[in-house]
Amino acid sequence: MVTHSQKIEEHFIAEKPFYLPQKNELPVALAAYANGLPLLLKGPTGSGKSRFMQFLAWTLKRPLITVSCHDDLSTSDLVGRYLIRGGETFWVDGPMTLAVRHGAICYLDEVVEARKDTTVVIHPLADDRRQLAIEKRGELLTAPKEFMLAVSYNPGYQSVLKDMKQSTRQRFVALELNYPDPGLEEKIVCHEAGIDEQLARSLVRIAAMTRGLKDAGLQEGASTRLLVHAGLLVREGILPRDACHVTITQALTDDDELVGAIDEMISSVL
Amino acid sequence: MEKTTAASLRHIIPDSQLNEWEREELIEQLTVYDPRLRQAVLEQIAIIWPVSHSLCFAFIGQLRQGLDCLEEKQLPEWVKGILAAYEAGGLQAARHYMSDVENNFLCRLRGESGLLFAAARGKLAHYVRGISGRGLQIEAAPIVATDTATIFLPREISFYQDNSENFQVYKLLATYQWGFISRDLYCQKHGALSLPGKEAEGDDALERYFRSFGNQALAQDMYHLLQTVRVSGFLQAEFPGLMRDLRPFFALLRVSRPDFQTLSGVNYLFEQARHWLLGYLGDDRTINIDGHLAEILAAARRNEASSADLLAAAADWYRFCSADDQSYAPLPPLLFQGEFRPREAHGARLARRANARQKFIEALAAILPPASAPDSTESEEEEPQPPAANVVEKGATISPLPPAKAGKNEAEFPQTAEPRFICLDDERIALPEELRELAREIEEDLGGLPSFYISSASQKAGGRTSGRIKGPRQDDGQPLQGELLYNEWDFRRQGFRQDWCRLILKKVHPVKGTFVSSTLEKYRGQIMQLKRQFEMMRTQHLFVGRQRDGDDVDLDALIEAHADVRAGMVPSERLFIRLLRDKRDIAALFLVDMSSSTEGWVGTALKESLVLLSEALDSLGDRYAIYGFSGMRRTRSEVYHVKGFDEPYSEEIRGRIAAIAPIDYTRMGPPIRHFTGVLAKVDAKVRLLIILTDGKPEDYDDYKGEYAIEDTRHALIEAKAAGIHPFCITIDREAQDYMGHMLGEINYTFIDDVRKLPLRVPEIYRMLTS
Repeated sequence: MVTHSQKIEEHFIAEKPFYLPQKNELPVALAAYANGLPLLLKGPTGSGKSRFMQFLAWTLKRPLITVSCHDDLSTSDLVGRYLIRGGETFWVDGPMTLAVRHGAICYLDEVVEARKDTTVVIHPLADDRRQLAIEKRGELLTAPKEFMLAVSYNPGYQSVLKDMKQSTRQRFVALELNYPDPGLEEKIVCHEAGIDEQLARSLVRIAAMTRGLKDAGLQEGASTRLLVHAGLLVREGILPRDACHVTITQALTDDDELVGAIDEMISSVL
Repeated sequence: MEKTTAASLRHIIPDSQLNEWEREELIEQLTVYDPRLRQAVLEQIAIIWPVSHSLCFAFIGQLRQGLDCLEEKQLPEWVKGILAAYEAGGLQAARHYMSDVENNFLCRLRGESGLLFAAARGKLAHYVRGISGRGLQIEAAPIVATDTATIFLPREISFYQDNSENFQVYKLLATYQWGFISRDLYCQKHGALSLPGKEAEGDDALERYFRSFGNQALAQDMYHLLQTVRVSGFLQAEFPGLMRDLRPFFALLRVSRPDFQTLSGVNYLFEQARHWLLGYLGDDRTINIDGHLAEILAAARRNEASSADLLAAAADWYRFCSADDQSYAPLPPLLFQGEFRPREAHGARLARRANARQKFIEALAAILPPASAPDSTESEEEEPQPPAANVVEKGATISPLPPAKAGKNEAEFPQTAEPRFICLDDERIALPEELRELAREIEEDLGGLPSFYISSASQKAGGRTSGRIKGPRQDDGQPLQGELLYNEWDFRRQGFRQDWCRLILKKVHPVKGTFVSSTLEKYRGQIMQLKRQFEMMRTQHLFVGRQRDGDDVDLDALIEAHADVRAGMVPSERLFIRLLRDKRDIAALFLVDMSSSTEGWVGTALKESLVLLSEALDSLGDRYAIYGFSGMRRTRSEVYHVKGFDEPYSEEIRGRIAAIAPIDYTRMGPPIRHFTGVLAKVDAKVRLLIILTDGKPEDYDDYKGEYAIEDTRHALIEAKAAGIHPFCITIDREAQDYMGHMLGEINYTFIDDVRKLPLRVPEIYRMLTS
């Protein structure tokens, strides 16, 4: 049985997360927050969407409640449910209710994965009503102005079953977070993996090469996150080529030819 | 004994095909072998004779020599090789093949042959695309070179026993050639070559420059070598891994070069420089060059040296050697350096320029407001002749950022040099991403954006309202009669031509043949795998809770109900869990391009993919239908019924798939509209319209270009509006700009390699529906 933490304090972000802005995402997000507008983050996996939310929450000094959506995530997983203990039933708030009650930031990661019935609760929260109806308790919460709803999705997926409806997407302020520019990405990899600039530069070059293969067989190029993983392994003493093979090549594809080609790129650069 | 041989031979070669004396001669040649061997040889003669008589005589002539190193059991294999050589290159090639048994046959048997380009190609193509970040082609050729659009590589590399090492050599060659392109060997970036005189189309300034030297070949080779030095430095910085791995190879190359000590004069200097470079790359610093040449080489190695600097350095070196420039005897260039081909490169540049011009004009015209040009009939004529292409005139400009809008935002973002806006008649139009990239490419080439590019575009845009595109008016425009009439979208008037196309339904008559069975055989392993994958999608047992009835009690629901009762509320009746099997409520319609352009490989691959798909879908249980489309003119747009939704995948259907053949043209609008209607009536939660095609829509009449693209785009939008998910699988060499526009960014995928199609299509389907 799912139990969500009741303590909102745990959701505050204590330390400043490392985040280097790509463009104007921070001022836009702050402006959206000031006006009670919900946020939609678009971008490929590992491009910094979740990290940006952490950074935003830290900047706003609000707790951040993240829900990773999966295809069985239903409304009651978000809103809450009754549990039984010793013959007594008691109500447990779901993450969304918790966020609304405490004026937190509720971040639904990969929202298109969630079941379609979740739109029932997302829609009224995402427009100017800013309301959350808890059907089972007959309660109607109105979100305080500190509350913010944010969702993310990856437009690269081509599944027709995972498309976002117009009625949903037109409620959000959409921010596109793509892979950072090479210079910026280098700094990020350097900092996150704790490796030297030389190696970070090579990793970023490899990533750029794999991104060039996107239309030629790869569904997506190597994300910044993969580069950080590779860097972390290298720092632990794994040989750079091996580290890249296991974190980048094998993560990207199963196709033998592509695996070979990516490995060749890696061995050229490293 | 001779008699049996003669009888066997007569059995193989009837009397009518061979003179008596020739026959006797043949028998004489055969009797030297022992009977068992003779029998084996006769078997082979039976194979070769029907192919070519002269090949057969040549074979018997060479047999003696061949059998010296061949074993009897290797004979059939050898004959196979001979026939392959004959089919590829005629009698001459077959003779050559037979003459050197050791190198052409035996060493291959022992696995000693090198790595063939065909074997390396797949991996290498991805590699080149990755490092270059664009669709650079690779091709096999007798030389190593590049024309900046294609990299030419040898057909085979056999430096090492181990093919993985041979692949490294391929990789090195490709990387070097890409390095040349990236470092602008042919001075194609604007301003790289500032020479007196205007550049005329078709004449390459670089070539002209080298002609001004007394010994053109020497000057070119000097420049090329200096560029190689520079690119080597560049690659050592950018690809340290590759250059490190290949150090032994550089040493190997050095050993195979002639000894420069035996040369004199300019030849000495040249070869010494090559040895120095190879030594330097192989991490062997024992060769010292001193004097003026050392300075020149050191200057070339500097990273910031430009191609113009190197031209100057080459001229300097040339002057230094000019005393005996006529004694220059060129030695082959370094393997990875390849040949210097300024003319080809210039040709590729012009082609690219023309392509970029057309693309730019088309793309810009698409975003310009149509009202800007007067409605004139003259505009039916060709676009104005472009002036000398590198003249950048004033008038229309492209600016990185709007100068007037220099506001607060700008200070916060680093300013890029990318052109973002275009100024036309004091109107500022923001450029979309692709156009910006094109503009940057053109600016890099020409140093600016010629104003006629923009004026042509605005004329073209204006032309939209003036009916510049010919065609529909040539049509009689008579109303059509019949049942299946479809509208067609005319983007110029932003409206439909009512009942414009007649659609005809046709049957495909099944053919009996080996196509399906051989496809099933060819992909047997993959089909099994596909079936397994698809079955996994099907048998994903899904328990749905909170049902009125079902297989099991839903504990969650029960508890909730109890809780509700306790809380004094009416409990829910939905307390059961049910196992849902048919959750996949998907109907997919595959629409296959049967235009004549699919003839050959593409058509075969399309059919193969249908077979594989049907096998896979059969195991999954999704409803699907297959139709083909083709046609000619608006009066005869045809769709071919291959498989309906309700028909089971049977022998009959297999026969119909095999019968799919290229017919006429590609008018995509009517079939899309027709099947939108068909699909809309199908009761399914998800309705997919998957179109398999090989390029742009085009018909015999005016249905081409922008008109066709816009109509197809509109038909797809109509499909979407009807709640259908259209998806397009396009086979093309590279992604075309129009695809994103016509098909919608995420509603298509393109496949650049036909061989991959059969396996990719089921994979795409799986991806789409899971």
